[in-house]
Amino acid sequence: MAEQRDDLLIALRYALLKKGTKQKFSLFFLIIVSVLVIILDKLSYSYITKTRAVLNDFIYQVAIVTSSPEKFTKYLIDRGIHHYSVYDENNLLKEQNAELKAQLVNNQFLKTENEMLKEALKLSSNKSIEQDVSVIAKVVIDQESPYLKSFLLNKGTSDGVKKGMTVFSDKYLIGTIVEANYLTSRVLLINDLNSKIPVIIQDSNVNAILSGQGVKRRMVLDYLPEQYQLEPGRNIYTSGKDGILAAGIAVGETYYNEKDKIVEVRTLADLDQTLFVQITNGQLR
Amino acid sequence: MLSFKFIKEKFIKSLPLVILYFLSLNSFVLVNDIPNVDVFSFNLQMIIIYFYALKFPEYLGFGHVFLIGIFKDVLIGTPLGSTALCYLVLCLVATYLRNVTLRPRLASEWFTFVPALFFSNATYFTIINNFSNLSFYYVELLRVTFFTFLFFPIFYFFLNSHLKLYNKDNA
Repeated sequence: MAEQRDDLLIALRYALLKKGTKQKFSLFFLIIVSVLVIILDKLSYSYITKTRAVLNDFIYQVAIVTSSPEKFTKYLIDRGIHHYSVYDENNLLKEQNAELKAQLVNNQFLKTENEMLKEALKLSSNKSIEQDVSVIAKVVIDQESPYLKSFLLNKGTSDGVKKGMTVFSDKYLIGTIVEANYLTSRVLLINDLNSKIPVIIQDSNVNAILSGQGVKRRMVLDYLPEQYQLEPGRNIYTSGKDGILAAGIAVGETYYNEKDKIVEVRTLADLDQTLFVQITNGQLR
Repeated sequence: MLSFKFIKEKFIKSLPLVILYFLSLNSFVLVNDIPNVDVFSFNLQMIIIYFYALKFPEYLGFGHVFLIGIFKDVLIGTPLGSTALCYLVLCLVATYLRNVTLRPRLASEWFTFVPALFFSNATYFTIINNFSNLSFYYVELLRVTFFTFLFFPIFYFFLNSHLKLYNKDNA
């Protein structure tokens, strides 16, 4: 028994300390360095944060270059798929356009009526929160990861991007900035498991928390009232209760899942197709 | 003067490192880009690192493994050094197994991949849970780990062919 334990220790010590042929570092040394890096990263002193920002920028720039062939291949495949679906898409868009035109007329009437009522009630116009920063950025890396759903953007603190700013695609909220480097930034997408947004459901006073599932566009509503039944075709807006996001930003919609025969929630923006985004520190105008 | 044979030899020898750097800097994972097939996604980097650390560690500098892990951490957004440590633990288990194995066989190397994956992922869990506020897709990670284990023999065959190619050139 003791001999077996000695053998195990000898083999382990050999594996840790012995430098093989053409190995510059032993595993033990590199493991210690890794642990130190993890601890220093956790401590987040200002000089460490700055160093990390420089390292991030450098690696992102290298990754942008190395991932260009892959992006081009994806682009070609997407164009090919898009080419075959143009006819069906056109018919669908025609129908949607007619429907939206009808809704627009109705909305203009409601807007006028709303302004008249506000004036009658002496309510100030509901301006959204600070809107002084609005940056258009390009998605440079869309890293597929089982752990985090995020995009890397080509704008950073040099363009006024700060941690916590909101990111939109096609006027729909897609996430918030979680890391701002000098030249680049990272946006945590709303479909990430770590994303929790206080929301309100259209045509109701029901509040809930919209949580990401890490699965394409699918999301879930947490903390719904008991016995509440979701109905398909309802939009979901931010409630602004977190004090960070402005109220009334369209985030998702409910739909009927034919396969599972349940009503589910999905993002309004197609995150897989997002190429350009708008970064603001409030709601879009 | 650099001969063609020398360049070819260098290229073949550094191919695993080139692939590993390429994978760490790219979001490219073949199966992730094919609808309905992305359920079979697996971690090719772990297979390559385990294979070379087990059979031919001289092809795969541990310093490079560390750097590849750092690159991956930066790109994914996980705590810096966590993937590096995870890969180094994989190398450690592989090196230990290499020292205690007398007669290597595909079956034994395949099944010893299970403890290697276990220790590596356990390290990763521990770091993520204690050094960050990130939530985990446990099921997805389990699925990726399972398919990484399952596809090991297929890549074992390809990587062995690479080794044979190198050895043939050197013969």
